[in-house]
Amino acid sequence: MSDPHHFVACPECDALFTLPPLDSGHSAVCSRCGARLYTARPRALQRATAWSLAAATFFVIAVTFPFLSLESTGQSSQLHLAGSVAALAENGSPSLAAAVAVFILAAPAFMIAGTLYLSVPLLAGTLPPLVNRVAHLLTVVRQWNMPEVFLIGVLVSFLKLHHLSEITLGVSFYAFIATIVCLTASLASAGPRSFWHQIELATP
Amino acid sequence: MSPADKTTFPLGTAASRGLNCCHTCGRLATFKKTHCPRCHTHLHPRIPHSLQRTLALTLAAAVLYIPANTMPIMVVTAFNGTVENTILGGVVTFWEMHAYPVAAIIFIASVVIPILKLISLVWLCVVSRPSRRAENSPAAPHRATRIYRLTELVGRWSMVDVFVVTILVAVVQFGQVMSISPGPAALAFAAVVVLTMLAAHSFDPRLIWDAQKKHQSS
Repeated sequence: MSDPHHFVACPECDALFTLPPLDSGHSAVCSRCGARLYTARPRALQRATAWSLAAATFFVIAVTFPFLSLESTGQSSQLHLAGSVAALAENGSPSLAAAVAVFILAAPAFMIAGTLYLSVPLLAGTLPPLVNRVAHLLTVVRQWNMPEVFLIGVLVSFLKLHHLSEITLGVSFYAFIATIVCLTASLASAGPRSFWHQIELATP
Repeated sequence: MSPADKTTFPLGTAASRGLNCCHTCGRLATFKKTHCPRCHTHLHPRIPHSLQRTLALTLAAAVLYIPANTMPIMVVTAFNGTVENTILGGVVTFWEMHAYPVAAIIFIASVVIPILKLISLVWLCVVSRPSRRAENSPAAPHRATRIYRLTELVGRWSMVDVFVVTILVAVVQFGQVMSISPGPAALAFAAVVVLTMLAAHSFDPRLIWDAQKKHQSS
């Protein structure tokens, strides 16, 4: 027990195990409560970097271009992602607008940027400044990252709108879906635990 | 430790071996260390005051759940007057439009899941509290862990209704003809979701299993 490095404790039930050698793609599962302890992911940093770069590209498109445009009784309006948040603030609920901005804009942006901030230097075997702070924030921000929930909300509101207006989907709508796919793939390739592992390996 | 425990996890628990498992990065460190050697998080064997925090946040969410359902979530102003929509009213509207799947999605995400979450959080605190521990059956911790995981998993999806309001408010601004603004329930409902997410996060699932261990050794 003098060297705790070779041991792993289940995060959900605290059972202690020695970490078995894993084939790539395989997971170690807690034999007491069934929680996943660790997954061996080959080239985790490369994959996370690639998916995050793709996610960043799509995210920039999603923020820049119109999300949808709609026509009703001769009037047409165009909607950007940021514009939808602004409209919420202008029409009476700035605090709700701030929360929505965090869930659909700030959190995804941070997850993409934070992953790249860690994965690129770690690929080169170096540690970026404030590495612990950023890795910690990634685990905190992750639960507030809700672009996929927003997408369901968008689809539901289309159903509410279709009888009173003509909706045309914008470039941003598709780019937003692509962002969700790439960001999810990125987070699945390098979870927080694998970042901490890589940080420890790179620490002199 | 019972004979069953010896076969499934022969090393016992980290806490029983004098080790803290870091909440942030999962690194193990001896009780002597106050901060994680890898990520510098403050170390505790279990989340401090986990059950009190979870209960307090759940209670706050339960209180806000009342205005979230009784007050209007959005206000539709049209040339023929103003209509205030509640969450349940929206479900009924979709049902009358024969859009049953949508009515079901909103009803489950906005009504059923929040209530089930509040109930399961209180229930988790009850079964994990120290005085209750001796009454637990061997299957109980598996069931409780499943409920805990489900509560953590579904948390964010209740936010759907808030996002629906966001889109509707942004899109339907046609001046005199028709405009939609958010009602007070939208903020209350968002607060319910955030508070239950924080409550689920404050709950330490290891307390479920600590209860089990005490039961078997007694």
